[in-house]
Amino acid sequence: MQAFQQNLKTLEAADTQVLGVSMDSAFANKAFADQIKVTFPLLSDWGGKVTHEYGIYKDEYQAPRRVNFLIGKDGKIMEEQVDRDAIDPKKIVDACARPRLKD
Amino acid sequence: MHRRRSAILAALLLAGLLTTSALFAQGKKDDPGMPKVGDVAPDFTLKYFDGNDLKDVKLSDYRGKKNVVLAFYIFAFTGG
Repeated sequence: MQAFQQNLKTLEAADTQVLGVSMDSAFANKAFADQIKVTFPLLSDWGGKVTHEYGIYKDEYQAPRRVNFLIGKDGKIMEEQVDRDAIDPKKIVDACARPRLKD
Repeated sequence: MHRRRSAILAALLLAGLLTTSALFAQGKKDDPGMPKVGDVAPDFTLKYFDGNDLKDVKLSDYRGKKNVVLAFYIFAFTGG
């Protein structure tokens, strides 16, 4: 999350909204956001419905895997990062720096 | 007699196979798998707390306006 916060200006300049998602409660997520100084919304998928719909629920964690999706203005997925690869969001930040995202 | 026994055996085997494949199919149904690059991202409405109010965020509200980064993380308070 902090990696996205550090790149927030680049992402916002490319018309990109960052949304964190976990299965924690909305209130826990707000406390977490304050603690790690994240200013974008951390959404609560309480019960895990959306996590299941995206096919990323992991039994071992009883929680989502770490996954980043970049979704274009047309609603289609443009980039994905999964598990260890999702720790550094460089691929997504770089994609946002490409001019076609502005359209 | 012998032939009848092998017919029963064959029927049992077939039933077993059908059950196994049905179970596999069901397993797949439970996990739709991750959407791929180029797929339309499944829409959702989720809540977040902004410090004062609980607010709804709907993915499709950004359609045609903004790109969206969805960053799923495992648990709050666990780094990252």
